[in-house]
This record gives sequence, structure tokens and C-alpha cells, in this order.
Amino acid sequence: MTGIQLLLIFGVSLLGIYYVIRLKKTVVDLMLMMLLILTAIGFILWPELTNKIANGLGVGRGADLVYYVCILLFSFALLKLYSRMRRLEQEFTKLVREDALKKVEKR
Amino acid sequence: MNTLALSMDKGNIHIVIPVYNHGEKLGEVVQSLTSEGYKNIILVNDGSENAQFPACLPLGITYIEHRVNLGQGAALQTGFTQALKDGAGIIVSFDADGQHVASDLEILISPLITGEADVTLGSRFLAAYQNPMPPVKIILLKTARLINYLFTGMMLSDAHNGLRAMNKQAVEKIRITENRMAHATEILFEIKKYGLVVKEVPVKVRYTDYSRSHGQSPWNSIKIFFDILFYKLFA
Repeated sequence: MTGIQLLLIFGVSLLGIYYVIRLKKTVVDLMLMMLLILTAIGFILWPELTNKIANGLGVGRGADLVYYVCILLFSFALLKLYSRMRRLEQEFTKLVREDALKKVEKR
Repeated sequence: MNTLALSMDKGNIHIVIPVYNHGEKLGEVVQSLTSEGYKNIILVNDGSENAQFPACLPLGITYIEHRVNLGQGAALQTGFTQALKDGAGIIVSFDADGQHVASDLEILISPLITGEADVTLGSRFLAAYQNPMPPVKIILLKTARLINYLFTGMMLSDAHNGLRAMNKQAVEKIRITENRMAHATEILFEIKKYGLVVKEVPVKVRYTDYSRSHGQSPWNSIKIFFDILFYKLFA
């Protein structure tokens, strides 16, 4: 096992442990997370696997494929976060407005 | 015009002034409006950090305070809601920095009284005489106007002019959810959505050193553009 493999497996395991401990989700969520982590560790240990999948999809290298998929996932996550932020902001605005309108001063 | 002005019931007109921090010109602005006969003034303090200005204001105005700063769009919406509660027939938005001229209100409001329009927008580019504008400002406004056209299909002569008037029916329909400066474009979306009749009216805009130093920076227009884009994506 190379240094980078150790580092990545360590990082992925930490993420998994954090997820399980801090965000107690449903069984389905946990199983999905475990599956993701095991897949990640699998790819870290046997990188040639990503190459095979990449070739099958018409991408030259496995690392490139991972990179492309990551961009997609991150963009998606960003949009989700942004729309949640907007929702929160609207809720917040509603609260501040209601509060302000309760205390109108007529001078 | 004069007969119309006489028939104008100014008690029916409510003026919403959003203010955040720089309230130095506020006294003057309110004074100029009251001396023109507009008594219903709603001041929305959008969570300013310097809370000294409420005390120095003349009596007879409605004062609302956001506990935290939300943005000009949110402040306007709060003011509009209050104006409707107070039974306003016509609602005007007016900037706090002294760049608008109170005497322009008559020409702004008259199309609403005659029923010619539901919403009137002040335009600094329609006015015969105009104070010289900083060139960067002109370029930005022309670009903003084009962006508004691309997003709304409405080709207006000005963009982001804070002086507007709307009748009660329009204000009841329009909902500003863009808390920050993109509300100016959002209002256009709403106008289009509800099929409201718009008219642009020439108004003066004063460019003083004061308004220049408190106006929007070019960088801000990029932020506004992205707010509009995201509004289109998520709203």
C-alpha cells in the first residue's frame, strides 16, 4: 500500500465515522453511506478498476473520470445548498418583518 | 397638470423610504416631502447600526425597524405591507440619500390617478435636463437595462431607479422576495407576471458627492446579476 492510499483511506474512514456518530440517520441512509465508503476504499486500493470503468465510458484515465464525476456532484451539492440558503433567508426575512410590523411607531 | 394636482388626494399617498446606516440626508428628504404636502411617510430602518436618527425626525411619520439588516428589497416590502395596512391608495418608493426630488412626485403619480398605469417608474434618461452622470454609472445603467430586457422582455430607458409609484392593486400583487438590490428587476418580473400596466416618467436624479459615495459600486452590479440569475433558477 502506498502513502496516498493510506491517507485517502484514513480520510474516507474519518468522514464515515463522523457521519455515523454525528448525523444519526435512518438505516437506509447509513447503509448507503457504508456502501459509498466501501466503494471509495475499493477504488483507492484497486485504482485499475476506475481505469476499466473509465475506458468503458470513453474516458482515458480513471482519475479523469473521478474528476468529472466530482465536478458534477459538487455542482449539484452547491445548488442544493444555495436553494436551502434562499429558503432559510426567506424564512428569516418573514420573521424579522413580522417582528418589525408588530412594533410600528407612529410618531 | 395643475387641475390634476389639485384633485390629487395626497392623504391617499404613502411614501416608503428604506434607510440603512447613512441617514444624514434623511431629515432633509422627509422635510422636502412634507413641505410638498405628503404626510404619510413610512420610514423603514433596515437594521442600521447607528440608531440615532429616529430621534431627529419630524413628528407624524411611521417608523419601522428591522432588527437585523436584510437589504433594500426586504425593507421596501415591509414598508409596502405597512402602507397597505394603513389604507394607502398609492404607494411610492423614495430613496433616503436625497437623490430624488420631491416635486417629481406629481408627474410620477398622475398616470396612476388617471388610470393610465398601475405602476410608474422614474427614469433619469427621459428627463430633458439631467445632472451630468459619472460615465461609469451610465455604462452600468445601460448594461443593467439590457440585462433587464433579456430577463423580462421589457425595454426600459432606465434601470434601478429607486423612485417608483404603484397603485394599491399593484402593491397587493407584487411580492418582493429578493432582499437585496435585485428587487428592482424582481419588481419587473412581477409586473409582467400580473400584466400590470407600466409607464416610465422622467425624473431628476441628483448626483452629489454624497450620493456618489453611498451609491452602488460596479462590483455590486455583478452580485445583482447573479442574484437575478439565481432568482430565475430557484424562485
